[in-house]
Amino acid sequence: MKEIAAKAMVKIEDLSVHFGETKAVEHVNLTVAPGEILGIVGESGSGKSVTALTLMGLVADSAKMISGRILFEDTVLAESGKPRDKALYRRFQGEQMTMVFQEPMTSLNPTKRVGAQVEEMLLLHTQLTREERYQKVCESFQAVGLKNPEKVYRAYPHQLSGGMRQRAMIAMATILHPKLIVADEPTTALDVTIQNQIIELLRKINQKEKNAMIFITHDLNLARRLCHRIAVMQNGHVVECRGTQEVFADPKEEYTRRLIEAVPSRMKPKIKIQRSNREPVAVVEHLNVYYHDGGGLLSRKSRQQVIRDADFTIYRGEVLGLVGESGCGKSTLSKALLGMNRDIEGEIRHFSTRPQMIFQDPYSSLNPCKTIEWLLTEPLRAAGEIDPAFKMSAADRRAEAHDMLRKVGLDEKYLDRRPSQLSGGQRQRISIGQALITKPGLVIADEPVSALDVTLQAQIMELMRRLQDEMHMAYLFISHDINVVYQMSDRIMVMKDGQIVEQGETEEIFRAPKDPYTQLLLQES
Amino acid sequence: MQYRMTKLIGKKLITLIMTLFLVSVAAFLAFQIIPGDVVNAILGTEATPEREAKLREELGLNDPPVVRYLHWIGGVLHGDLGRSYRYSKSMNEMLPVAELIGDKLPVTLWLAALAVFFIVVVSIPLGVFWAQGKSHFLDAFLNVLTQSVMAVPSFFLGILVTYLFGMVLKWFQPGGYVSYQKDFAGFLKYLVFPAISVAIPKIAMTARFLRNSMLTEKTSDYVRTAKSKGCTDRQVMYGHVLRNAMMPVVTFLGMIIAEIVAGSIVVEQVFGLPGVGRLLISSISNRDFPVVEILILYITAVVIVVYFLVDLLYRVIDPRIREM
Amino acid sequence: MGKLQRIMKKLHNKSPYFWIGLFMSSVAVVWAVLGFFWTPCSTTAMSAAERFQAPSWGHLFGTDNFGRDIFSRVMKGASTTVLVGLLVVLFSGGFGVLIGALTGYFGGILDELVMRFVDAVNGFPSILLALVMISVLGSGRHNLILSLGIVFTPSFIRIVRSEFIRLRDADYISRARLMGVKKIRILFVHILPNILSTFSVSVMIGFNNAILAESGMSYLGIGVLPPDASLGNMLSDAQGYLMRAPWYAMAPGLTIVWIVLGFSLLSEGIRRNAGEVRGL
Repeated sequence: MKEIAAKAMVKIEDLSVHFGETKAVEHVNLTVAPGEILGIVGESGSGKSVTALTLMGLVADSAKMISGRILFEDTVLAESGKPRDKALYRRFQGEQMTMVFQEPMTSLNPTKRVGAQVEEMLLLHTQLTREERYQKVCESFQAVGLKNPEKVYRAYPHQLSGGMRQRAMIAMATILHPKLIVADEPTTALDVTIQNQIIELLRKINQKEKNAMIFITHDLNLARRLCHRIAVMQNGHVVECRGTQEVFADPKEEYTRRLIEAVPSRMKPKIKIQRSNREPVAVVEHLNVYYHDGGGLLSRKSRQQVIRDADFTIYRGEVLGLVGESGCGKSTLSKALLGMNRDIEGEIRHFSTRPQMIFQDPYSSLNPCKTIEWLLTEPLRAAGEIDPAFKMSAADRRAEAHDMLRKVGLDEKYLDRRPSQLSGGQRQRISIGQALITKPGLVIADEPVSALDVTLQAQIMELMRRLQDEMHMAYLFISHDINVVYQMSDRIMVMKDGQIVEQGETEEIFRAPKDPYTQLLLQES
Repeated sequence: MQYRMTKLIGKKLITLIMTLFLVSVAAFLAFQIIPGDVVNAILGTEATPEREAKLREELGLNDPPVVRYLHWIGGVLHGDLGRSYRYSKSMNEMLPVAELIGDKLPVTLWLAALAVFFIVVVSIPLGVFWAQGKSHFLDAFLNVLTQSVMAVPSFFLGILVTYLFGMVLKWFQPGGYVSYQKDFAGFLKYLVFPAISVAIPKIAMTARFLRNSMLTEKTSDYVRTAKSKGCTDRQVMYGHVLRNAMMPVVTFLGMIIAEIVAGSIVVEQVFGLPGVGRLLISSISNRDFPVVEILILYITAVVIVVYFLVDLLYRVIDPRIREM
Repeated sequence: MGKLQRIMKKLHNKSPYFWIGLFMSSVAVVWAVLGFFWTPCSTTAMSAAERFQAPSWGHLFGTDNFGRDIFSRVMKGASTTVLVGLLVVLFSGGFGVLIGALTGYFGGILDELVMRFVDAVNGFPSILLALVMISVLGSGRHNLILSLGIVFTPSFIRIVRSEFIRLRDADYISRARLMGVKKIRILFVHILPNILSTFSVSVMIGFNNAILAESGMSYLGIGVLPPDASLGNMLSDAQGYLMRAPWYAMAPGLTIVWIVLGFSLLSEGIRRNAGEVRGL
């Protein structure tokens, strides 16, 4: 490691970046050498993106460099106390260092052809003729595994799939063979199978071009698979920066250890299951669900089948996991189960009252203009209008709300706050409380931890399990992340293109997956 | 692609004609339910019953409404726009609406065209300049300035322009007008100040709209991508941001043009221009319904055609919509 | 943090646009309300001896061609204009919320039909539509309020409807449905409070448009008719004496500008506070 550090190509020395009062990055030292992939790992708000953007000269103008400097080979790109030298940066941006962003859809200009956007690199930095440029762009598309490069050249971003767009972005970033490529969460917006292709592509490029690469991610597993060295960031500081193997084998810092432990993994012992008597809460038989598109006065309705012949039972007190990639019909299935989608064939029988739902995004699942107390009492009030068993006085409702708030691990000072005053994790706690306060027999949790950082993920999952022990409801736990599902579930269903391809006991499926798609999913993650 | 485009235009054209048809029915019906008898309105209350009956027969008022509508719309399609109740050609012949409108149309159209020209020429550079955010002070100044300008009603603006440029500076003769048939250059010269009055508030609106649209676009991810390629600020602005920011502005300009057609009604009154707007007002006051009907149809047609063109233009510049 | 402190902090964070706008619009409203009950001089008393007097302490804005006190007439006119604007906004805003909420939340054929109509009407310049309505209904203050109210309703429907469509599929509304909350309560207790800031901004813009339309039509002589004082018809009278008594035109004109500018600054302040810079 020492040798690499000695011939480091990019050096970030004692970098501190503040946005007004917020200290985004504090005294960060990092180096990258040619041929090396450095992973920067951290949760949201840890300063990893700000560090990368500052290095690239792309950080917002409101950011202030408080201390340190950035060196690219022997050139000082930026130094604290000096204004950003945009002209100097432009000599490096695009030609010497490039960046791949998280959202390939929004990172490409929606009204320019993909080819023209890649070609702009050549226009800005080379003297090639028109034909040569076209040739070169097509070659670069081929190199990143885009079949039919002429077609991609002429396409607009919205005409390509997410994976293809990200390949085009990578083609753009590599076309001039830069010495440094910074990839900021390049696979986060993509499905697992595509994610792996992109990771392999980045690895291939790194091996062929021997350039330096900085790979920013919140996902320790990804960093582990791709990076030579890993820098762990927390609250703007680099807490640990060592070789990948060493970090995982023997994490020095408490925070790193927590991070590694929080990552859902099949290596770890599962949370213990206690199976009660097999009493069903919901039975689904031969369920077909259709989705309607459009349908106005002038346009004809198109009816698409989303779910094909689903057959399963959820039992009291268990967690049934449902795993699949985006667009496979997981959410449609959950909506049908809750009666929110009416166009169905087959049978859904509920043996419990008022199934509830926990949503993915804690920011949109709580009414922003209400107080926490209102949010927790409203379900009881609504239930009281339907079911005499829930008829109670306003004071009783408040008492129940206070009780629930404690159960989800928050105290009473939150009662008169509004959702905007809470953090993401706190909101998800309220969201869970809101779903459970009417004691439903079945709770559908649609990606309840996907929007959260790993350490929070672990806490929320534990909270859900603990509340289940107390209240004995069943969960249908939906996730795209097979490791998260493994951690939570007693039984698992795997879904692909609207069909349940495999279901069974969690351990069994992980030990001996029968369906080829399940095998693929298990391999990839 | 080509085929789809043609089919789409065809479809839009059918909707366009349908809308015009509906408006013609609505315009016709609206004036059938108006209280008060047309015949009385023309002849006054002291006419003899015989004369009234004769006029009623002449105007076809004894026919059922459907027949009258078909008669009217048939005439309109053949260029016979009906006859004014109010203005007469000679003692016993009412003036055809077509003749009445004929020499007023160019005034309104040229006024609108000039105003649109001013709007486009001034507001787009202004909006682009403003969006660069050179200084905080300039930003606040332009903000307050445009807000204030937008608060001035068009007729008061017309009066201010008349007072300042017509009476104090004497750059033009208030109330003067030269027919376009006699002296086209002089005609345009007289339209300049009315057109400016129409344009000023719209310039403020459009510039604000464009500026906001550009500021929104500037925060997009693709702008960051362009910068990471090494584009200069100018290259980012003109190569990436402007086109995307212009898209909502095109729709906005379409609405503005429709507004101008109506806005000129008031401004024609202020400057005493013999345009369609003034005719509309006097016809409404005089309850001269054949004229009002035709003017409504005409303004509708202009508005619909403008929207049709804007829609096509939008499809040309936005590839995402073109596909649909 | 105490409640009072929080409110103070909230007020402290408001933009200067908010404060200037609040000042200007409150002055306008107070002036208009006052003018409804009391004016310093009579608005109708004529005096040949006092024709075309320039602004002085006795007549702040001078006198007109009949020797009437312009200040008093502007006060009266402002109260007419503000009252018309208010009634128009109440009418169109009320129907807009009702129809927009129902069509936006439930959708379906009714929504489709209403929207076709709304789109057709919205495409047209509002003053033209109001003119047509007036020519059918006849001139006068009541018909003016009715026609402007009808003409402005579609734009409110459109705004409210699009907000309801945006929110009806929000997770927290799906959740309210799951809880079994009654539809009417979802509409007006769960959704409506969330659109209030958007709605209040569009109410102010609508109020401004109503004032501009009212004064425009009164200027053309088909809105509020004399002898009722209205800022529009005062301007129309004043135009003939522009050379001789420019203050006669400036007083009502600048009053309109003051009112409209006050409310647009206020709405911009509110919008900036809500942290959204979109559209106009």
